[in-house]
Amino acid sequence: MSSPAIRITGLKKNFGASEIIRGVDLDIHRGERHAIIGPNGAGKSTLFHLISARLPVSAGVIELKGENVVGLKPFEINRKGLSRSFQITNIFHNLSVFENLRCAVLWSLGYRYSFWQRLAGLADARLRAEAVMEDIGLAKRRDTPAGILSYAEQRALEIGITIASGADVILLDEPTAGMSRSETDDAVALIRRVTEGKTLVMVEHDMGVVFGLADRISVLVYGQIIATDAPAAIRCNAAVQEAYLGTSLNHD
Amino acid sequence: MNSAVFNHGRLLLWGGFLALAFALPLVFKSGFLVSLLCQIGIMVVFALSYNMLLGQTGLLSFGHAVYYGIGAFVTMHMLNIIGKDGGPLTTALLPLVGGLAGMLAGVVLGYVTTKKAGTTFAMISLGIGELVAACALMFPGFFGGEGGVSGNRVVGKGNLLGFTWGPQVEMYGLIVLWAFLATVAMFALTQTPLGRMANAVRDNPERAEFVGYDTQRVRYLMLILSGLFAGIAGSLTALNYEIVTSETLNAHTSGVVLLMTFVGGIGFFYGPIIGAILISVMQIVIGGMTHAWLLYFGLFFLFMVLMAPGGIASVIAIQRNLWLAGLFGRMVPHYLAVALPVLILLAGLVGLIEMSYALLAGEGVGAGDTATKVMKMELHLNTPGPWLAALGVTAAGLVLTRWIGGRTRAAWNSALATLHGDKS
Amino acid sequence: MEFVVISLLNGITYGLLLFMLSSGLTLIFSMMGILNFAHASFYMLGAYFAYQISTWVGFWPGLLVAPLLVGAVGAAVERYGLRRAHRFGHVAELLFTFGLAFLVEEVVHLIWGKTSVDYKIPVELDGTLFTLFATDFPIYKGFMMLVSVGMLVALYALLTRTRIGLIIQAALTKPDMVEALGHNVPRIFMLVFGGGTALAGLAGVIGGNAFITEPGMAAAVGSIVFVVVVVGGLGSLGGAFVASLLIGCIQTFSIALTISITDVFALIGVTLPEGSQVARLTITQLAPVLPYLLMVAILIFRPRGLMGARES
Repeated sequence: MSSPAIRITGLKKNFGASEIIRGVDLDIHRGERHAIIGPNGAGKSTLFHLISARLPVSAGVIELKGENVVGLKPFEINRKGLSRSFQITNIFHNLSVFENLRCAVLWSLGYRYSFWQRLAGLADARLRAEAVMEDIGLAKRRDTPAGILSYAEQRALEIGITIASGADVILLDEPTAGMSRSETDDAVALIRRVTEGKTLVMVEHDMGVVFGLADRISVLVYGQIIATDAPAAIRCNAAVQEAYLGTSLNHD
Repeated sequence: MNSAVFNHGRLLLWGGFLALAFALPLVFKSGFLVSLLCQIGIMVVFALSYNMLLGQTGLLSFGHAVYYGIGAFVTMHMLNIIGKDGGPLTTALLPLVGGLAGMLAGVVLGYVTTKKAGTTFAMISLGIGELVAACALMFPGFFGGEGGVSGNRVVGKGNLLGFTWGPQVEMYGLIVLWAFLATVAMFALTQTPLGRMANAVRDNPERAEFVGYDTQRVRYLMLILSGLFAGIAGSLTALNYEIVTSETLNAHTSGVVLLMTFVGGIGFFYGPIIGAILISVMQIVIGGMTHAWLLYFGLFFLFMVLMAPGGIASVIAIQRNLWLAGLFGRMVPHYLAVALPVLILLAGLVGLIEMSYALLAGEGVGAGDTATKVMKMELHLNTPGPWLAALGVTAAGLVLTRWIGGRTRAAWNSALATLHGDKS
Repeated sequence: MEFVVISLLNGITYGLLLFMLSSGLTLIFSMMGILNFAHASFYMLGAYFAYQISTWVGFWPGLLVAPLLVGAVGAAVERYGLRRAHRFGHVAELLFTFGLAFLVEEVVHLIWGKTSVDYKIPVELDGTLFTLFATDFPIYKGFMMLVSVGMLVALYALLTRTRIGLIIQAALTKPDMVEALGHNVPRIFMLVFGGGTALAGLAGVIGGNAFITEPGMAAAVGSIVFVVVVVGGLGSLGGAFVASLLIGCIQTFSIALTISITDVFALIGVTLPEGSQVARLTITQLAPVLPYLLMVAILIFRPRGLMGARES
């Protein structure tokens, strides 16, 4: 049996005196779709930032496919096959949709910092970017600057950039935040489609999305994981019920 | 959209520019104009190299003259070595040496400066610039002290095709050749993975890190390459003027290239070319007419920052889009209507500034020549008459500009709204 | 010993003057995110205003009026220029202040000419405060220290004891929170910019006659102040204070040291090859580059600066 996609042991993070992540242990299996839920301020986004090295870890170990990645830079972790999206849209605003996606595939195709190759001559980069563009339904917006896309389109592009490199561990931070019902449905279908066969970890508030997509769910409360289980088991877990204090975990 | 460097249309455009550049001295035969053309050619390369940082990578540098200056000094010393001992190099190839020197300076200094981006980079580039400028005065052996280093570009054996590069026209040909090569290379760079990732780092460094790129490395490489082209420009300047002083690498030169590039427009590849041409010409023409040139330049720059931060290139681009959308025609009457009050305002301001210079700067009425022409009257600066008249003209211009300008703005906004409405 | 004490006094005087500039720059940067490239231009304006006022009514009124005038100019610049540039982002703001520095220099050329003006130390302060060993310490240096320390105390009191000071402190750490609390942020920005430039103006009033009042003074001091801010750590007032004194002392000590690099290396037992240009340089000759070398060293070994809290 190979090592888990992500294994977190004794992870802690404090900002000054306040401890935000207070000892998290978590295994994410290869190929599963794992959701992290919890009340506001529980530290869900912080946990993502620690895994992706956007924030430095205070204590503990994070293993990516069996390899300790604590202390690496974000781009080094990305090169090891972990890619993430952001809660607040994080795209290249002045570049077109196509250029956004092409930028996202260049490293994984091995073009590195090349200044001796013409972009236009790199057929594989173009084809991969176009395939992703088709996947996220933005083909007709190919040459539109990303900054003037609609919100839902920007969110789709955000996911597109995240998956374009072909990373096999995908972290999505609230992919459907701020979307209407129908936009959310489209986004869920998109996520399901593009993460096929990959490991997906997502932070999400929309319980409909969580219970519809996730194979397993972890509940993070005040910097600690109080339960990790299949959706059905989570739904009737007493500790989880208590943490949410009456908030219905049913489809809302 | 085909972004190949050498598709047919682009090949034609580049070829046309090259032919035009070579043909210009046939029309402008006077030595003065050829010198001006030489200056423009050099500045185009310098400004384009600067925009590799500012426009393409989002790095605002206050010390770009360092690479330009080092290219110039190294070239001058090489020239003198060739002159004394001979050697395999010829004058025509020296810009390559200057470029490599600039690049090497980029490798060393860029390692420090590109650790940071944004405001910190701006401050550090200024500090490094001051450091090198101060060193220039400390090491007169290399930098020539106050007098600088001079040389003679007619050296070496086996000059290519019988050119000695002595006559200014031949030097112009050499500048055009190198400027063209450098421009093509810089354009080609924008179409490579590194060039595109520089744009990505400019737009969103955090995202660039999360698609696998080390933003510090991208900035460092872009600075090294930018140093290469700045070095070529510096080298051409050394060959053209046959003297290099520490002025070449000080903060003033860094400031001028920044102003040129910005005024031309940092968002477009050709923006800095426009800026280099415009500012070089204005410097000669307006600078020849009035002592207040630098003041006008400063005001013009502030005006551009506040009113058209995209520079002249972006103004042109918007007009082109309006034209393509068939909206340009309806803006023309508004442009014409606003032109008159703006001219009145300018006349008033120029009058005030010129009279102030004549009165205060104590450089004789010579500085007031323009004012005399504009006002069409004898100036008695110790009487309130001319001042009141100039103030009146300025005030009238201001009121009219605000009034008519308001309408123009409204028309402009509605045209833009239509334009963007059509797009989406 | 004599050399050390005198140089230290001079260094502290100069360092405090630098802090008057760097504190305003730091406050403006921390609150508004603007690196005011024209900060030293306001220092120059302070000196020229004070000179002009001193030719009319003497030094003392100028000490009060000139900084206020500079502050008013600063507030107007913020209100009518920067606020507009702000909409186009940080680069536009930085370029605006850069253009402003350029323009101020030209205006100074126009009004006061291209050479230095005769801005004198007032007769009341012209003389010797005390004699240490064999060196006279001028009254004016003591006065400069007094004004600087007074400013320091006033600034500290303002930041810790008044309502506006508390808001500024809050904004230093949590910029977005202040607006959420319903404070008129544009007004506060204008006040901070005006206040910061007034401090620079005050530095100009007392520095202009101690050193020299000429159109090049802004550029000369400006880059040193940037070095101070980088070395101290962007956005840290404490860092700016330490770095100001440090650089003030480095400058005064190095100017007074006439030993050469060869001698320095000889002290630690290294013999440099004879005759190279570097080896023959004296510390005095190196003085102008030392602050920049310090900056480079800080950037390599401690990129946050001495006391900087945030990586930028």
